Amino acid sequence: MKPTSAPSPRFTRLMANPSSGAIFLLVILIVVMSVAFPNFFTAINASNVSNQMVFVLLLAIGMTVVLITGGIDLSVGSVMGLSAGVGAYLITGGAPLILGLVATMAAGAFLGLVNGLMITRLGLPDFIATLAMLGVARGALFLWTGGIPIIGYMLPEYYVISGLAQPFGFITVPILIAIVAVVIVAVVLKYTSYGRHAYGLGSNPHAAVLSGVPVARVKVIAYMISGLMAGVAGMIMAGRNTTVAPTMGLGYEVAAIAAAIIGGAALGGGRGTAFGAVIGALVLSLTANAINIAGVSSSWQQIVTGGVLLLAVLFDRMSSLIRARSVRLTMRLAHA
Amino acid sequence: MSASENISEPKKSGVSRRSLLTSMGLGAGVIATTGLLSACTTVASTGSGATGGGVAAGSIGGSSYDAEIKKLVAGRELQIGWTPPILSEFFKQMESAAFGRMAELEAAYGVKWKWERSSPTGNFDAVEQQISTVRGWTTRKFDAVLVCTGANFATMQDVYQEASASGTAVFQFNQPVEIYAPEQISTVSNIGYDNRWQSGYLAGKFIADTLGGKGTVIQIMGPSGSDWTKARLIGFAKAMEENPGMKVLGTADGGYVREKGLNAAQDLLTRFRDVNAIYGENEDMALGALQAVDAAGLKSWDGKEGIVIVGADGLISGMDSIAAGKLTATIDVGSVDQGRTFIDTIFQNVVLGESVGKFINVPTRVVTKKNVAAAQAYINNALQPSKTY
Repeated sequence: MKPTSAPSPRFTRLMANPSSGAIFLLVILIVVMSVAFPNFFTAINASNVSNQMVFVLLLAIGMTVVLITGGIDLSVGSVMGLSAGVGAYLITGGAPLILGLVATMAAGAFLGLVNGLMITRLGLPDFIATLAMLGVARGALFLWTGGIPIIGYMLPEYYVISGLAQPFGFITVPILIAIVAVVIVAVVLKYTSYGRHAYGLGSNPHAAVLSGVPVARVKVIAYMISGLMAGVAGMIMAGRNTTVAPTMGLGYEVAAIAAAIIGGAALGGGRGTAFGAVIGALVLSLTANAINIAGVSSSWQQIVTGGVLLLAVLFDRMSSLIRARSVRLTMRLAHA
Repeated sequence: MSASENISEPKKSGVSRRSLLTSMGLGAGVIATTGLLSACTTVASTGSGATGGGVAAGSIGGSSYDAEIKKLVAGRELQIGWTPPILSEFFKQMESAAFGRMAELEAAYGVKWKWERSSPTGNFDAVEQQISTVRGWTTRKFDAVLVCTGANFATMQDVYQEASASGTAVFQFNQPVEIYAPEQISTVSNIGYDNRWQSGYLAGKFIADTLGGKGTVIQIMGPSGSDWTKARLIGFAKAMEENPGMKVLGTADGGYVREKGLNAAQDLLTRFRDVNAIYGENEDMALGALQAVDAAGLKSWDGKEGIVIVGADGLISGMDSIAAGKLTATIDVGSVDQGRTFIDTIFQNVVLGESVGKFINVPTRVVTKKNVAAAQAYINNALQPSKTY
């Protein structure tokens, strides 16, 4: 057991983790809130926050995959709403619950597929294609429902699936679904050739093409994952809200992108992890929760969220400077 | 008690207040039409139908009167634009009610309607779309536009003045005009209700009365800065002031949507353990709060104990919840009466050239399990207009 030498590698490794800025902020937030408000650090509040963060988390996971490949998905909020509408409509019309749930997820994945094909086949920029989907999916839901929320699909099992009924105590079905999604995406990104291709494509598209990465397929699959996650989020939110309003999921794309970035994903591509998405979603949800518990004006929520985003990215900048310096130092030492 | 003087007792007097309402909206010189239109509204609300004998539904003017009005209308076609801030259950109820009234007037007097609806597909803050919509309708020389918007007050007055100058009559509906100086409002008429005394105050008073004047409340409000929120809070605060035993523990922003209302209620219920009542400033947020109460294993009000949850809007989905004994009450702010009344007002002003009141408030009511069936029936009837436009 030799003591590690001075500028400890553990410190360098910690700083090199793109989520460490967010984790740092998270710890401060939790400590301050726990000291100031006795009801904050409680099992019930932990359960509340976990259930509240599921939607942003699921969307942020999908967003992270898309960001890794160098894309961006602006349509997730609308896709979430439209998918939920499909499932709710089917169940209201008498379809079995399971069919409705599968249809919700399939609708999300399908809309993601359309996004992917618009980008790879028609050559549209990611931003434009998904912006168009944001508008089309939302407009379709408005037209289809005529502005009237869909109701009448809340079978007893749906209460369990949405976490409104909690037969297993604090651990609700949505939390379990989110955990499963995080684990699967983490494994795919870390251990499969798809993951390697995705990171490769995002870090250097030209090199990826030259080294034989099936670029179109990697992109399409990334958007399908994002769409699927939006579908799953829609499925859970339809249950939690007990109605599908045509405005469901409005604005969630902003939260999803913010969570992914706070969690260390880069808009330029090539970086991000499922774990980072968890941290990012946790930061956003805990901020909202803290503001309600502290009784602060909700206008602060937007300011704080913006500030946190800025701090997390600044922290990341700093750590990449440190990383770059340590690389230079190592190289200089090697040359000496 | 100046506040309560402004409040009409909801349960007693459907007929007399409706007549009062219509006469408020009309000058003294047009008594004949006043009688006619108020009768129509009353008949529709009580559902007793026409008086028979070849006279149009709801008419008490008599067949020769109808014929004279028909001559004055001369088959005129009216192009109307209607822009609510968002497409929702509430505004759908209102639009259906308007269609019903349009069909009645068309049958009785031969007035023809062309209806155009435009609503932002974003959230209710997405106001630029509405501004350009109204400008577009002005350019197309619409006869009348009906606006309800979250847009900045001063901006809208400019838009309205442009419209009036080019011959389009501007009406607002469901707009919290009461918090602005009347002389600054550039519309022909504003059909709605007073958010302070006909919504916020009623909710506060209901909660206080139900709890016997003593208890704790948490508030789930709309986006801070919204005019509706401002106005309703004035009334709610007044009711709390009149009941010193009532204490508002905390407030959170529920953004007028269910999901945020649920989250806000969950967080406030975590912070404050001893909550007797929740005021959801609209119904979606109140229903979200109800889910938070359920999920936390707490009980909603059963007539003796539990948490009193009150919303505001008057939606069929909220009334279903009241009927099922879950939501305690809601303030029905007259989606149906607003829809019918703004059509009447346009008919009186634009077609017949009569003067109308600048502020026309429809009746609102506290809907509880006791009177929910009537309120539901009234809306359900309006949801099936004989003709859509």
